[in-house]
Amino acid sequence: MASKDLVLESATDRNARFERDAIAYMDKLYAAALRYTKNPEDARDLVQDTYLKAFNSFHQFEEGTNLRAWMYRVLTTTFINSYRKDQRRPQLASGELEDWQLAKAQSHTSDLGKSAEAQALENLPDSDIKRALQEIPEEFRIAVYLADVEGFSYKEIANIVDVPAGTVMSRLHRGRKLLREKLTDYAKELGYSTESKKGKGEKK
Amino acid sequence: MSYIEEIPCVEVLSSVVFIIEGVVEESQNPQAIASHLNSCLACQAEVDHEQAMHILLQDVLRRSCDEKAPEDLHRSIHEELLRQATGGAGVTEVVTQISMTEISIEIDEFGNVEHREIQIEQTHVERYEDS
Repeated sequence: MASKDLVLESATDRNARFERDAIAYMDKLYAAALRYTKNPEDARDLVQDTYLKAFNSFHQFEEGTNLRAWMYRVLTTTFINSYRKDQRRPQLASGELEDWQLAKAQSHTSDLGKSAEAQALENLPDSDIKRALQEIPEEFRIAVYLADVEGFSYKEIANIVDVPAGTVMSRLHRGRKLLREKLTDYAKELGYSTESKKGKGEKK
Repeated sequence: MSYIEEIPCVEVLSSVVFIIEGVVEESQNPQAIASHLNSCLACQAEVDHEQAMHILLQDVLRRSCDEKAPEDLHRSIHEELLRQATGGAGVTEVVTQISMTEISIEIDEFGNVEHREIQIEQTHVERYEDS
């Protein structure tokens, strides 16, 4: 009986198993923590706290389920509960989904705008990509990071962040859109030609 | 043939996130979206663009966000876990295991013997965090 064997695993064995399996995610969790907290000191502390919490509740982790997702859940909850600078900031209400669906009608982009946007993205340096990510609101940043960098599905993200799946979809949609707008703006500052996107011919 | 509702471009475009996530069947109107995309070149182009941009965005994000945890963080976490495991603020575990066998033997009026054994096992783990 496998489940019984697991329960009877000694604390020492379990500790060893934790070190063996969970430590492998440290670099990735640190990179995520940098995006969450926006500074290296807090990111360090957040990762250390995450490991401590995960270690002490590892007996609740069901073996065979996704340890990586579980570690991100501990990281994200720890961040939301203890590291968020402004705890009182109101959370986006449910209804987000309708909000973006009813939002300003999306129209077709011109072919010129399409290639300009792609070119802008390709040419931006890493520092600008990170800056753009830092500048979008936290809920969007976390969702986009988990989906696009870590490759979690929207259902896994719903579980990690503890919000309904529909909310994750709307955060992904809006977050990516915001991110792309920021990156296009940066590219404009750097002088890449993207003005055709919004139809403003303000080339100097 | 079943009737497929016709929907406007804007409705298709607002479902693009479902297409990108590869879960279009979970959107509100997957059949209508598919049928619209079959006949609307502008929407097809838009979806292609969104998909291409998504891959591009993913690439630049992954390329940019690949910091490694500092060496001393590795060390300090390892030491902290060791400290947790071996003492200091440790954890005591009490494992209680109960095992019970119930045996019943029945003999009916014809002399048939029926013999049953029921095995009951229970394991209970209690954890105490030392402070």
